[in-house]
Amino acid sequence: MTSAMTRRDAVKILAVAGAGSLLQARPGQAATSITMLHESSFIKAFDEYFQKKIIPAYEKAAGVKVVYEIVSVGSTLTRNTTAAETGSGPDLTLMALNWPFLFDEKLVDVSDIAEEAGKANGGWHDAAKELAVVNGKWKAVPFGNIGQLMNYRIDWFKEVGYDKFPDTWDELLEAGTKLKKKGHPFGMELGHGFGDNHGWLYPLLWSYGGAEVLPDGKTIVIDSDETARAVDFCRKFYQATMQEDVLGWTDPSNNKAWYAEQISCTNNAESILYVAKRDFPDIAQVTGQALNPQGPKGRFHILNPWAHSIFTHSQNLQASKDFLRWLMKPEIVSGWYDSAESYYAPFLHAYDNAPLWTREPRNLPYRESLATSRPLGWPGPVGRKQSESVAKYVVVDMFAQACAGKSTKDVIADAKGKLQQIYKS
Amino acid sequence: MSEQVLPLAAGRRAAFSWRRLFEREDVFSWTLMALPLIFLVVVLGYPFVYGIWLSLQDRPVAKAGTFVGLANFARDLDDPVFWRVAFNTFFYTGVATLLKMVGGFGLALVMNQTFPMKNLVRALMLLPFIVPTVLSTIAFMWILDPSFSVFNRVLISTGLVEPPGPSWLGNPTLAMASVIVINTWRGLPFYGITLLAGLQTIPPELYEAATIDGATAPQRFWHVTLPLMMPVVYIVTLFSVIFTFSDFQLIYVLTHGGPANATHLFATYAFDIAMGAGQFGLGASIALFILPALALLLIALARYMRSN
Repeated sequence: MTSAMTRRDAVKILAVAGAGSLLQARPGQAATSITMLHESSFIKAFDEYFQKKIIPAYEKAAGVKVVYEIVSVGSTLTRNTTAAETGSGPDLTLMALNWPFLFDEKLVDVSDIAEEAGKANGGWHDAAKELAVVNGKWKAVPFGNIGQLMNYRIDWFKEVGYDKFPDTWDELLEAGTKLKKKGHPFGMELGHGFGDNHGWLYPLLWSYGGAEVLPDGKTIVIDSDETARAVDFCRKFYQATMQEDVLGWTDPSNNKAWYAEQISCTNNAESILYVAKRDFPDIAQVTGQALNPQGPKGRFHILNPWAHSIFTHSQNLQASKDFLRWLMKPEIVSGWYDSAESYYAPFLHAYDNAPLWTREPRNLPYRESLATSRPLGWPGPVGRKQSESVAKYVVVDMFAQACAGKSTKDVIADAKGKLQQIYKS
Repeated sequence: MSEQVLPLAAGRRAAFSWRRLFEREDVFSWTLMALPLIFLVVVLGYPFVYGIWLSLQDRPVAKAGTFVGLANFARDLDDPVFWRVAFNTFFYTGVATLLKMVGGFGLALVMNQTFPMKNLVRALMLLPFIVPTVLSTIAFMWILDPSFSVFNRVLISTGLVEPPGPSWLGNPTLAMASVIVINTWRGLPFYGITLLAGLQTIPPELYEAATIDGATAPQRFWHVTLPLMMPVVYIVTLFSVIFTFSDFQLIYVLTHGGPANATHLFATYAFDIAMGAGQFGLGASIALFILPALALLLIALARYMRSN
């Protein structure tokens, strides 16, 4: 492409770009255009709805043009980092996981919008606040939770005598042992992906009573009998139900194996069913979804929220706030949620019984999971040390190394060493 | 307009002559070098110095940093993952470079022969090097995929292994071997084509003389080809070590450092810490470790080459 570009073209482009930056809106001026960064959704209709319905509707209502900048899955954090560091780029952005805590100082206080949205939409779920309220201020307006639950083959589970998905880890192990013998192993990610590994490994640790660090953010508690039991279980579970590949999996791997009909159970968001309905209708018919199994200390899921924030560097602060406020109005946000079925489980109580839940009853466990969802690293404090542990895959690798054959004592000592180093300073 | 200005300009030229200034060699050469120098300072120098500055701070993303001296480097040395990553990087670079050197030399020797469609084959040889790394890595993702792997299908159908076959990316040892092989595959053409250029500069008379003296083909290779090729081998190895040592895309796309850090390299680990954990200072310090490590490696290489 560049080779076809002449020098004159290059000069023209530079000149236009330069002129463009001079013409950019100044603070105080009425904005005519604002930009919103978003991650490409696995639910295509969701992005289309925003571009074709929401943006034109807002332009008509407020006379402000909205540019919807889509980035690829997995690169939103990098893009946000660049925007926050350089102080330029989108006005509004998508925040996932604990990012509002990382970007805190570069995000506008949106408490008024969040509280108003809560009031207008039946109130917020408790889980909504955990990763959006930083030091008493809402730094993001929560949207929905991308639950990570169990997805299983209804037909194959039936073949080995299970009409319902097993309720405990031990029962799941039993079912998986039978299924692997019949040539239908389980496939849950134990590698360095970004979601499908944490989606079941943190809940497994918690459901046995294990944790990385106490809420004080100082006391490392990973070295416990509870953790040891979780690790022992995981090794047994892996050996009896899975194949070696899962240790090297990243996030697309389990989806690929699912659609190739090679695994009978995995842990994923509900997009696995959504995509099956579109591309593999036969597989979709036999895809079931269920809550994570219980352990001795209860049942857990990871909190995986999407939320929206406004950067302090925005030249269009008022226009951005107006837009966000408008987006969260019941008549707007209801349609926005609905466009993605229930992939983004609404954090607002008004939608607890909305049609988006009745359309596909198999998605209902994703609604139920909200009450038992916890942030990664829970019950430790949310923030950068927790992020460091996640980025270093401390919990994931503890389990993965045990599955690959290391002793429980060694893998826990290894995890403890890493956590001590992270939480030391 | 030009006519009006002319007398004025002429008058100035008497006092100060641009031409005379440029005729001075130092001025002329610095003028020529100015643009590339500015370019290097802006594009390489600034990020480098900024990287050093970052590494000396506790600098969370989107927050102001505080100066902490060498604390980040001390933290790295205290980090078990860091040592694993360091080992991985040296191992990966060492083995991949060796494979590329041997394989590339072989490739160059073959390409130096005369055979039909020689030019076409030479051009095709460059393909792995030309295809964007991310694309070829995704192809390898499928090639190594347990479900769809062509390797496994062949191995299973010939009865060499039991289904489902080896787990290329799930087994820590095989995963490291796989990424090394893919890196070698990608880097081989660079070696091949550079060494081929070197081979073609060796005067045929030397081979003729050696043949008349009764040297066999292996003897001609050891005593004529290899000594004359050493400078080229040195340069190409230098480049290759630098590229391989700081490899990022292949690992990031294929394994993301997994399983359990078995394939994590300096570049991927630094990225995870800086971007994933939002710790620029710590991330920069990990990335900067590439520098002394690489310097050591290159000095060792230079010594070895010179001693031979």
